[in-house]
Parts: sequence; C-alpha cells; structure tokens
Amino acid sequence: MGGIILHTVRFIAFVLFQVLVLNHLELGWGVYPMLYPLFILLLPFEMTTVPLMLIAFALGLSIDALSNTFGLHASSALIFAYFRPVIFKLFAPRDGYENTEESNIYTMGTRWFIYAFGLLLLIHHTWFFLIEIFKWNEWLLLLRKIGLSVPFSFLLALFVQFIFISKKKSER
Amino acid sequence: MRNLIAFFQRFRIFLVFALLQVVALSMYFTYSDFPRIQMLTTAGTINAEILTIRNDVTKHFNLEETNKQLEWENKRLREKLKNSLYKENKGLITIDDTLFRQNYSYIPATVINSTFDKRDNYMTIDIGKNHGIKRGDGVFSSRGVVGIVHIVSEDYAVVKTVLSKNINIDVMIEKGGSFGLLKWNGLDAKRGSISGISNDMRIKKWSKVVTRGGSGIFPRGILVGRVEKKGYIEGKPLWDITVRFSEDFRSIQHVYVVKNLMQEEFDTLQKQIPEDSEEPEL
Repeated sequence: MGGIILHTVRFIAFVLFQVLVLNHLELGWGVYPMLYPLFILLLPFEMTTVPLMLIAFALGLSIDALSNTFGLHASSALIFAYFRPVIFKLFAPRDGYENTEESNIYTMGTRWFIYAFGLLLLIHHTWFFLIEIFKWNEWLLLLRKIGLSVPFSFLLALFVQFIFISKKKSER
Repeated sequence: MRNLIAFFQRFRIFLVFALLQVVALSMYFTYSDFPRIQMLTTAGTINAEILTIRNDVTKHFNLEETNKQLEWENKRLREKLKNSLYKENKGLITIDDTLFRQNYSYIPATVINSTFDKRDNYMTIDIGKNHGIKRGDGVFSSRGVVGIVHIVSEDYAVVKTVLSKNINIDVMIEKGGSFGLLKWNGLDAKRGSISGISNDMRIKKWSKVVTRGGSGIFPRGILVGRVEKKGYIEGKPLWDITVRFSEDFRSIQHVYVVKNLMQEEFDTLQKQIPEDSEEPEL
C-alpha cells in the first residue's frame, strides 16, 4: 500500500519536473535531458513486464500531453520498459537479485548502475531522437543530440538519487 | 488452437509492446497534423492550466528577453511606417510598386547609464560605431524623442539628451504645423520650451508637439510632448511655449537610434543655401 502511494507521488513528481523544468531549460546544442526513465527503473523489481509497460506508457503519455509531443515520450518510455527486464538479466549479479526491492544506485552498486541504466538510457534516448528527427540525412544532428543529452540525463539521474533516496534505508 | 494460445502466451510481452508502440507511433505521426483529442495536447484545459501557472511564475525571469523581442518588432514596424520612407515619385502616378524607399532605419539600444539633473544631461547606450551609428544620429524611445548621439566609441555611444542647453531639435505643433526649436532651461526634467513660434499662430493647449524632420536627424512626427502652457515674451512677437515631455527621462531603459540613409544627400542640398551675411553668388 505504501509502495503504491510512493510510486504515485513519484509518478506525478517526475512528470511535473520533466514538463515544468526540464522542457524549459534551453541548454543549446540540442541538449534535452530527460529524467523520467529513472522512474521506470525505480519501479518495484518484481513487477512483470506487461504492467511495467502499461505504467511507462501512461507516464509517457502524461508528459506528451503537457509538451505537445503526441506520443513520442510514450513510445520511448515503452522502449525503456520493454528493455528493462532484458538488461536486468544481462547485468545480473553473480548471486542474482535476491532481496532487492528497488534497483537504485545504492542497492545495486555504482558499477551496475552505470552499465544497466546507462545502456537503457542510451536505448531510450536513441529511440526518442530517432523518431523525433526521422530523417537519415540529419544523422549528425541525431548523434549530437544523443551524445550530449545522454550524459546530461544520466548525471541528473545520479543527482536525484543522491538527494532523494537515503542510503541507509536502501541498505537495510 | 492450442498452439495459437501457446504462441500468444509466449509472445505476450512482445505483443503488448508492439500494440502500444503502434498506438504511440501512429498518434505521433498523425497528431502533429490532426490533433483529435484535445486532452492529449497542451490545449487541453488542465494541461494549459498547469502551464499557465508555470508561466505566471517564470515570465518575470524572461522580461529582459521579451523586451528585446518587442524592441526588434517595433524597429521592424517603425521602418515600415510612412514617415520613415522616402517617397520616390513625388506627385507622379506610377504603376511601379517602388513608390517608397527606405529613408530611416532604427537600431535598438539599451541605456546603460543616464542622468537627468545636470545642466547638460547625457546617457550611455550599448551600441556604437560597430553597429553603424555616428555622431549626430537621433535617438528616441517608444515614448518620445530622447536626444542626439554625441560621442561614439567602438561599442558604446553617449547621447546628448533633450535635457541639454544647445539641443535645438526641430519641432512643430502637430496641428497647424507651426515650428520652432526645442530648448531646455535646465530646471525641470519634465518640461522644456519651444522658441521661435510667432504669436499670431493659434496654438491649443495640450496639442501634440512632434519632430519636424527639418534637419534630417529625426523622421517627421516623432512625439516630443504636449503644449502645457503658452505665454507672451515681452518685446518679441513670439510665444513662450512650455512643453511637457512625453518621455520620462528618469526611467528610460530602451531607445532606438535613427539612421538617416539619405543624410548625405540632404546635407549637400542644405549647404547650397546661401548664408544670410553673404551675397548670393550669381
């Protein structure tokens, strides 16, 4: 029950932060940081893929509605959710994911987080900008957008975890 | 049948994924042309409300930028006004559409520093030689005439404002067209005077005073202020006219510099007017 409330609050917070703050940052050079993938990553570990995808779809759609992107975020969030179990399996620790409720940087370790979340973020951003630009002859712009936005989003996700997720609670 | 069910169970995840992906992508590629459900765009009531609240908070951060934009917009519009265009073909009927040629162009500038309580008041603006302005160009703001460019450096310029001794800008009463020179007595930053209007002219109180465009510095018709008071000057057949400036020199932020694109032509013509003391050459 507490988990549902927590994730609902997170859902709203991530949508609003994306729409009200990140969408209005004009960093130039095509940098467009997206933080909401972190929400999908932080969803309960035992959640199966279908509900995961439905929640991600709803998340993306909410952001779309507030930034006039008509399904672009929904599609990208869906990609992220679809690949989450795949990547989790790929980077599974030696003793499996025992006793993990939530896969944040403290529970899984920095190394795992960089690989798993980094790769997922790369997939997400690549898909997002690919659909957004949708022109092969602008591949340089595409590369620049991906190459600059992914580090931004990643660092942002790190900061948010350092600030909002307490280490002790996660290690318990 | 069992195989089919088994197939669906096996690829359940991928099928849900594909289905949702098709929904999202078809929406994305068609909505940008035909948004059907308003709820899903920022035109939706709740969505617009959220964004309006945000804008109410953040619009103050962008005031400077907004100002700049409006300034450029104004510049563009002012250049289209009739009085900044030179009529190419006076009096003749022409089927060409080149009836007007650009006579004045305007460069927006920000006031960095200004005074209003000295005898001769100057202000510094953030454009200079590099932006194409030179000594003698006129300066005005959206509220009215400001002054004349006095000193120019590479990137800055000092403007001698209307609040100076020998500013002598050519002005006229908009209605009636009687003209004189604008003066300032050095006391009140809100009021100046016009000299040289003969006292048989009818002048109404609160009638508009505008630039005459006589020296080619300002285009005709830029507001200076309004006639506040008129009185007789002893021993002279002239009105003593007090003008209340439309410009508030104490809170001036953004100005435009006037560039007369035909100043040279104008000056060469003016030089041919014989001086009073000399005998006209024959």
